[in-house]
Amino acid sequence: MTAKQVKKEENKKSKFKELRALGFIIVVLFPVLSIFAIGGYGLIIWLIQAFGGVVAH
Amino acid sequence: MKWLVTLWQTLNTPAKYLTLGSISLTAFIMGIIFWGGFNTAIQATNTEEFCIGCHSMESKPYKELQETVHWSNHSGVRATCPDCHVPHNWSRKIARKMEASSDVWGWFFNTVNTDEKYEDKRLEMASREWGRFDRDDSLACKNCHNYDSMKWDEMSKLAQKQMKRAAEKDQSCVDCHKGIAHTLPDMGTARAPELIAEVGTGPSKFTNEQNYFSALTKPLFFSSNGDVEAGTLNVATKVKVLETKDNRVKIAIEGWRKKMGAGRVIYYDFGINMLTAQLSKDAAKTEGVINAFEEKEDDMTGLKWQRVESQLWTDAEYLITEQQPLWDYARDTFRSSCSVCHTQPDEAHFDANTWPGMFQGMIAFVNMDQDTQALVQKYLQQHSSTFVKEKH
Repeated sequence: MTAKQVKKEENKKSKFKELRALGFIIVVLFPVLSIFAIGGYGLIIWLIQAFGGVVAH
Repeated sequence: MKWLVTLWQTLNTPAKYLTLGSISLTAFIMGIIFWGGFNTAIQATNTEEFCIGCHSMESKPYKELQETVHWSNHSGVRATCPDCHVPHNWSRKIARKMEASSDVWGWFFNTVNTDEKYEDKRLEMASREWGRFDRDDSLACKNCHNYDSMKWDEMSKLAQKQMKRAAEKDQSCVDCHKGIAHTLPDMGTARAPELIAEVGTGPSKFTNEQNYFSALTKPLFFSSNGDVEAGTLNVATKVKVLETKDNRVKIAIEGWRKKMGAGRVIYYDFGINMLTAQLSKDAAKTEGVINAFEEKEDDMTGLKWQRVESQLWTDAEYLITEQQPLWDYARDTFRSSCSVCHTQPDEAHFDANTWPGMFQGMIAFVNMDQDTQALVQKYLQQHSSTFVKEKH
């Protein structure tokens, strides 16, 4: 294998890595985090209501 | 673990091949897809079909709703489950959804899967929902109903009076309108748990010749071990304990009775219709149960009254040493229950013989169990103008 070919192979590899990382973040990680964040937000409001009584609406 | 390290390394270095444009475009599009999907999913859980997907929701509350005006009416508007039970404001809706996730446990562990279990929990579940309505002054109702849009002229005089007063205060609807969309929980059978929590169940040992007060309406018996009931002792009544045997105490009940019929009802005092005890016909006729003393005639009614003392047995429980805690509880209940709809009259505004009629006329509007009812009525009589002379 020539040096050029090796480099090409590595490029291909890191391109795949980048795509995989992007896919993981926007399809799995961020949606999951968002749901947790919204859920936590809801939980906090619920607790405030449960212990603090009336909320503005 | 290695993949995580590789992932972090990739994310932590500037992209070599993906362009800034392609990254931001995918992020932007995914943002839209996620947010749309999320709200669609939330919306899907906010439908009637979703709610009655559980058997316990479909078989009880949904069936009950179908009997009410919120299901079908002149105007053809129907209130579905989420209209009343899920807040419409986004933040509060999310909070409600989080709270409702505990229902999943209920479904998983079959908390209310049968008719019996549902009825057992009905009061608890209803109380929780009433609490929610209380907190925001029945906003769920007011999303559709509005005090300003009410046609006052078409209401009865009584309804107008009540409604206008409520409108002035922007009062919470469920303060009065409970049990309008689902069956009202049975609140008359449990024996005044809140009252007993307040006043206690009484001492475990009784001193002879000492006075005690009944904390509930209690059954009376002929003997220390028989099952034959001789009548009932009214709540908050003063009795003297004569002896203790088995799990019962022999008590002396003093009062006056009307000299008519079997004379089986014992009242607090001459000419005052304040219940102390009601004996059965058999008990009133049995020799030695009632000892009669002097007689007096009531000029107002022409009835002859007779002072009596009765000795009977009752279970050695719910007899407390002081009367004041009972009155304190009764006063709080009277003030809070009655002031929900109107300014309650002063206790001394009526006399002891007028209060029962007044009280019984209003009792249908509040949820009060039998013992509490009897206690509050007695409290009103005992604190009426008959006994509190300085007022009226």
